[in-house]
Amino acid sequence: MLETLQSLSHGFALALSPGVMVYAFAGCVIGTLVGMLPGVGPLAGISLLLPASFGLDATTAIVLLAGIYYGAMYGGSTTSILMRIPGEAASVMTCIDGYAMTRKGRAGPALAIAAIGSYIAGTASVVGLMLLAPPLAGFALRFGPPEFLALLLLGLLTLAYMSGGSLPKSLAMAALGLLLGMIGIDHMTGYFRFHYGVVELGDGIGIVPVAVGLFGLSEILLTAGQAEPPAVMRPRIRDLAPSREEWRDSAGPVARGTVLGFLIGILPGSAHIIASFVSYAVERRLSRHPERFGQGAVEGVAGPESANNSATSGALVPMLALGVPSGPIPAVMMAAMMVHGVSPGPLLIQQQPELFWGVIASMYVGNLVLLILNLPLVGLFVNLLRIPYPFLYPAILVFSVVGVYAVNGSVVDVWIMVATGLLGYLLRKFDFETAPIVLGVVLAPMLEMSLRQSLAMSSGSYWIFLQRPIAATMLFLGLGLLLLSVRPVFGKGKDWRRRLGLTGKVSSREEGTS
Amino acid sequence: MTTRRFALLLALVLAVDGTAAAQEAFPTRPINMVAPFPPGGVADLMARPVSAAMEKVLKSPVVVVNKVGAAGAVGMSFVANSRPDGYTLLMALSSISIIPEADKLFDRKPAYTMDQFAPIALISADPTVLVVRAEKPWKNVKEFVEDAKKRPEEISYSSSGVYGTLHMAMEMLTHAAGIRLKHVPYNGAGPALTAILGGHVDALASGPAVVLPHIKAGKLRPLAGWGANRIAALPDLTTFKELGYDIEFYIWAGVFAPKDTPEPILRKLRDTVRQAVQDADFKAAMAKMETPVAYMDAPELQKFWDKDAKMLAEAIKRVGKIEEKK
Repeated sequence: MLETLQSLSHGFALALSPGVMVYAFAGCVIGTLVGMLPGVGPLAGISLLLPASFGLDATTAIVLLAGIYYGAMYGGSTTSILMRIPGEAASVMTCIDGYAMTRKGRAGPALAIAAIGSYIAGTASVVGLMLLAPPLAGFALRFGPPEFLALLLLGLLTLAYMSGGSLPKSLAMAALGLLLGMIGIDHMTGYFRFHYGVVELGDGIGIVPVAVGLFGLSEILLTAGQAEPPAVMRPRIRDLAPSREEWRDSAGPVARGTVLGFLIGILPGSAHIIASFVSYAVERRLSRHPERFGQGAVEGVAGPESANNSATSGALVPMLALGVPSGPIPAVMMAAMMVHGVSPGPLLIQQQPELFWGVIASMYVGNLVLLILNLPLVGLFVNLLRIPYPFLYPAILVFSVVGVYAVNGSVVDVWIMVATGLLGYLLRKFDFETAPIVLGVVLAPMLEMSLRQSLAMSSGSYWIFLQRPIAATMLFLGLGLLLLSVRPVFGKGKDWRRRLGLTGKVSSREEGTS
Repeated sequence: MTTRRFALLLALVLAVDGTAAAQEAFPTRPINMVAPFPPGGVADLMARPVSAAMEKVLKSPVVVVNKVGAAGAVGMSFVANSRPDGYTLLMALSSISIIPEADKLFDRKPAYTMDQFAPIALISADPTVLVVRAEKPWKNVKEFVEDAKKRPEEISYSSSGVYGTLHMAMEMLTHAAGIRLKHVPYNGAGPALTAILGGHVDALASGPAVVLPHIKAGKLRPLAGWGANRIAALPDLTTFKELGYDIEFYIWAGVFAPKDTPEPILRKLRDTVRQAVQDADFKAAMAKMETPVAYMDAPELQKFWDKDAKMLAEAIKRVGKIEEKK
């Protein structure tokens, strides 16, 4: 412990030296901006900045890139809350209740809670990264395809909590999402599926264009279709700070989101977006007033936003402790290390203590910088809502197109966004929820890949899921949850979904805008 | 960084100045070097030091452009179909030979064909190495092969994806040794490495640089390399050639231009790369990435490429379409 503190103080000495501090700050600012721009997320931001980091030394480079990474998670919530456009993929869940809060004039508190929740989650998860990295990373590696499949199946159970509409409609939407997720190369055989000669479709449908289209574009279209333009909001200063009640309601979700996000972030191959999905579902399940979800529940902002932030530190655990890329973003950061002659591996912490502790300390500093940066900006951002719709919406449209294009430099992605935007408009006109589609698109490729990899490992035997303790435990847990949920259907008890406030009478949107 | 920017700017000014003097001069504007994979990938990491060194030689900017998609097919077909004026170059990996063959296998309209490119120079050629988990009993290739013969399709390996480079390397080995292994494809070389470190598969063919730290840490054991010569970083590691297997496989990176690029420009580009690989900064950058420079000029590269492409084509045909067994 003493040794840890000593190393950490060395790290702080490094992180607070002006040369490093400047880059941590730059990373945070760039990350916030990247997160805010619709569509462009941390991966695109880090990829673009990677060549620029070649001129720095290894520690500074990683400090800069890590800053972009967690900074983006702060920025991502802004457009989700104000305009219902996910700034980056992991902010999809924030769109639902965050935007509903905005429609109720609570945009300020939503932004503030998102920033504070992110700060708490960011800082707490760095503590986790610092103290638990080596043992946790070892555990995370035991998550192979069968374990991952079990986790994803658990994730699918969250579907039931995702929308306020009717269950058949949600299931239909999830199925549609899963089908869309089937497009692209079949990684097990090399066949291209449903690509119709478009080379770009070989990579499948990206989550970013789908999310921006389904959430953002459809919202713009719906607003344009209203007989009367919605009233321009005039946020008041005293409405900027969260009320005492909102503070109290957020505490639990932030704490749970932090732990969940960190644990899910560690697992190789998982995405932050899953952390935020799961957090949202958990909060809804635990809430005493689940009917408020979708109508602007502060828990629906606090939980997912904390979860996606602590997932970033989680994702760095396998990278720093073992030299294992747990996802595309750590992979790019590892490339940055290799360019500087630092080979990421199990001996990194011993061989490069400066880098490890410097990065850790810079993350403490960076999270604080982000909080200081983001809180005063809440007032500024909220005032964006004063812009009349004829100016605001075309501008958002332009930013969405630019953002979605920038991710891969692909016009096909822009068309996908337009198509899913129109689809989202139609679906929402008919009272379908669009969040399950996004869940389906995210999960389908992972589910399929891990199922087929598991079966390849076992030469086709399904017993593999029961022979591996972690996978079996999770499957039984999932089965238990499922049985608990359906019990009232067979028994005399109340419909569990009604008890959770999930049976829809009015769609969340109408409620939110009226 | 700022000094490089300045140098770049200066180079640009000088280049523009030079145009006025000689009409024939090449280049008169920035050259784009397309890396068909995202930043941080092998193609990108090779393209950046090469382009920086080429800039110094040409005194004119060489810009790396990442054109990503469809396992490199998007960027490669972009270069194949761009104007053959020497201003669009490609940093290609072995996959340049795989994609057209895979397209043929599946009766797809090919995204490009290999004869759409003129080789300029080979930059690096890293032989893959066979690694197994340290706690597995096999101490050498012989034990590995014998055990695999006893238990066909029991020993498993991960790869970067079907028909990917790491799959092809293993396919050559299994064919030459007459063994059958269990293939678990992953979505990229990173996840394939994660899989063997997590103990979900037994073996992996990988580029040496990424597995080296895990070998040093005692998590993985190397059995042999696919190169004609031993690897500098692992001098004790035997090669399959030494063991009597006639297989060779490299993860290579080379610079290509569209086919109809005029001869004088091609010559200029070849001269440029030849000087660029001698640049001290370039050598230092490659050494940091633990990637030995394996320079070859166009004629040798063409021969090397033909041989490599033929081997890959045969391997792909042997694998054939993968039908899942029920």
